[in-house]
Amino acid sequence: MLRVAIVGCGKIADAHASQIQRISGCEIVGVCDSEPLMARQLYERFAVKRYFGDLSDLLNDARPDVVHITTPPESHFDIARSCLERGCHVYVEKPLTLHAEEAQILVALANERGLKLTVGHDDQFSHVARRMRSLVQSGYLGGRPVHMESHFGHELEDSAYARALLADKQHWVRRLPGKLLHNVISHGIARIAEFLSSDAPQVIAYGFVSPLLRGMGEEEIVDELRVIICEDERTTAYFTFSSQMRPSIHQFRIYGPKNGLFLDQDQETLIRLRGGRFKSYLEKFIPPVIFAEQHLGNVMTNVRGFLARDFHMRSGMRYLSESFYRSIREGSPVPIPYREILLTARIMDAIFDQLDTRRSPVISKSAARDQTRAYHAASVRQNERATPDSSTASASVGSSRPRGLGRCPGEGEVV
Amino acid sequence: MVGSERDTSIIGPDDPILVTGATGFIGSRLVENLLGRGFRNLRCFARPSSHVATLDALAGRHRGARIQLVKGNLLSREDCAVATRDVAVIFHLAVGGGKSFPEAFMNSVITTRNLLEASLRETCLRRFVNISSFAVYSNTQKPRWRLLDESCPVETRPALRGEAYCFAKVKQDELVTEYGRRFGIPYVIVRPGYVYGPGHEEISARVGIGTFGVFLHLGGWNTLPFTYVDNCAEAIALAGLKKGVEGKVFNVVDDELPSSRRFLRLYKQNVRRFASIGVPRVVSYAVCCLWEMYSKWSDEQLPPVFNRRRWHAYWKKTRYSNERTKAQLGWTPKVSMEEGFRRYFESCQARARHA
Repeated sequence: MLRVAIVGCGKIADAHASQIQRISGCEIVGVCDSEPLMARQLYERFAVKRYFGDLSDLLNDARPDVVHITTPPESHFDIARSCLERGCHVYVEKPLTLHAEEAQILVALANERGLKLTVGHDDQFSHVARRMRSLVQSGYLGGRPVHMESHFGHELEDSAYARALLADKQHWVRRLPGKLLHNVISHGIARIAEFLSSDAPQVIAYGFVSPLLRGMGEEEIVDELRVIICEDERTTAYFTFSSQMRPSIHQFRIYGPKNGLFLDQDQETLIRLRGGRFKSYLEKFIPPVIFAEQHLGNVMTNVRGFLARDFHMRSGMRYLSESFYRSIREGSPVPIPYREILLTARIMDAIFDQLDTRRSPVISKSAARDQTRAYHAASVRQNERATPDSSTASASVGSSRPRGLGRCPGEGEVV
Repeated sequence: MVGSERDTSIIGPDDPILVTGATGFIGSRLVENLLGRGFRNLRCFARPSSHVATLDALAGRHRGARIQLVKGNLLSREDCAVATRDVAVIFHLAVGGGKSFPEAFMNSVITTRNLLEASLRETCLRRFVNISSFAVYSNTQKPRWRLLDESCPVETRPALRGEAYCFAKVKQDELVTEYGRRFGIPYVIVRPGYVYGPGHEEISARVGIGTFGVFLHLGGWNTLPFTYVDNCAEAIALAGLKKGVEGKVFNVVDDELPSSRRFLRLYKQNVRRFASIGVPRVVSYAVCCLWEMYSKWSDEQLPPVFNRRRWHAYWKKTRYSNERTKAQLGWTPKVSMEEGFRRYFESCQARARHA
């Protein structure tokens, strides 16, 4: 029986507790929160053995095999490191850490201790995401991806979370390097990172505060973001984060040299985009019928899943947790490769660095260009050293600021 | 303050009073009520994002009173310490938002704990008035038409109601009671029914729900435990001032309570027409049973938001009493149901025009 603990008993911890309880062969041996009342409320509502107000007590007394970390992101690194040092496997909610260097250190520590680590990119394990992965792996695209588009919408108006964030100038989200973006975009970035093969793509980011938020007197929460990611002039990707775009979507498109795929996370639909064309007027009539048939097929698939009691809202989290536990038990590879986790972290660092640069009025264009080149060089050096199982590489990455990825020359002007 | 009130009140007109949630629907009416009673030293606690126009207007009308606005977050112990300094009575109305259990718990229970801890350091505290809700009552074991009053049991397993608000409020009441027992905090718990009035135009779920695209009228001929906002504020004020009621619970509902059917008919006549489907009680109970069973069978593929406990709490035919509140607090609902409805429907119409 795998002994699981949860650290941090806020909203997302409920989802973790629910999903863990659906997995056979594991039990929640303890929950912990620095506010003991919060730990107690989770303990009372779920079949949990004990609750704690201190991490050391949890690790000493409950002796978990796996710790799920669901605290605010700024504490992820320290808690994850403590757990790994005490011999626990670790599942960290997204974002893994505040900076890529910290992610690198955790990965190196896990490798050094023979432990496993994963991050809560559970959207990548929803039913529809798994169907898409299977198709890509079967060669449906006809080669490596040519282009990807990841859209991530985030409605602010009706969200209690957003109201709290906008009202509270001391809110923990404001202390993150990327603020609101830092807490939400990793799902959309991770989708792209999964299909990139290089460790140092170029990143161009443009972000701004939407007119809606500006009208509310908000100046520091960037809620509109556009990103171009470019890999060796072979594979490109656009990432769009928007609080204002309607409909507010969570979609992903991936195009290969032969065919493409379109995934809608909210509707759990996957559409094949065939590369060939029909002759003449047939192109106007037959593809819509094919699309209609595919949509109907998606409906049937979803209904079948629902009737089979396998269509829970957080099914991706369950699948990810289950896969992670299996990798622990069987010593098999982790469900999200470390390379992918680190690449996601680096792309996010690069985005936030550029947004910072843009907001700094004193930086000159030439300085920006110099900085860009320095980032590129640092990134290349870093990636030459950064093998996931190399603890020495991790240590040097931790001290190798500035962090970030290589970018197109002159991007300082673009941002 | 009139002479008779001075004799029965635990504090004088210049003793400091703290009102949390002071800019809210009930809080602003309570501030107005206290000012109307002649209390001149009010500390109003509100979130940084709260609109304070109502309080400004009240301050303008009561020039001799000192209305101190304290903006902060009750999750901050420091803010709670500032808010409670030297206060004689605390009216804790701040409502915890959030649909999830942890959010509701944090915004209700942790905030209340912080406030109670801060008030432990204040030697001059005479009364802590905790605003609870009818949502905490179980109402499960009582046969139809039995009376729901202060002696009725509270949900023992509130998480099973599938309603974060109920869970948080039960836990909040438990905490206040515990602090009263362990530390001698002189508390009173006030449990209003459904508070209606201008500023709160939604239709109560006790009447029905529009979740599925059409309004399902679930209340039928049930009596609705309504209280007009000014009447409720009056009861809360009295609960904070009256001598000799420490440790007691008071339910607040008005007289002449309407049936759900009558309310819905008046609403349609006075505000807007819309289609509704009357759901017989036996059907609503059966749906709640089936939903609960399916939720359990499917491992909560559908969350158990409709269940038997909820049906008993909201849609079971029940009578309500305000006898204790009248007898021990000397409260009477000053605004009649007819007048309250008139003001409420006017407000709904105005809101519809501006929508």
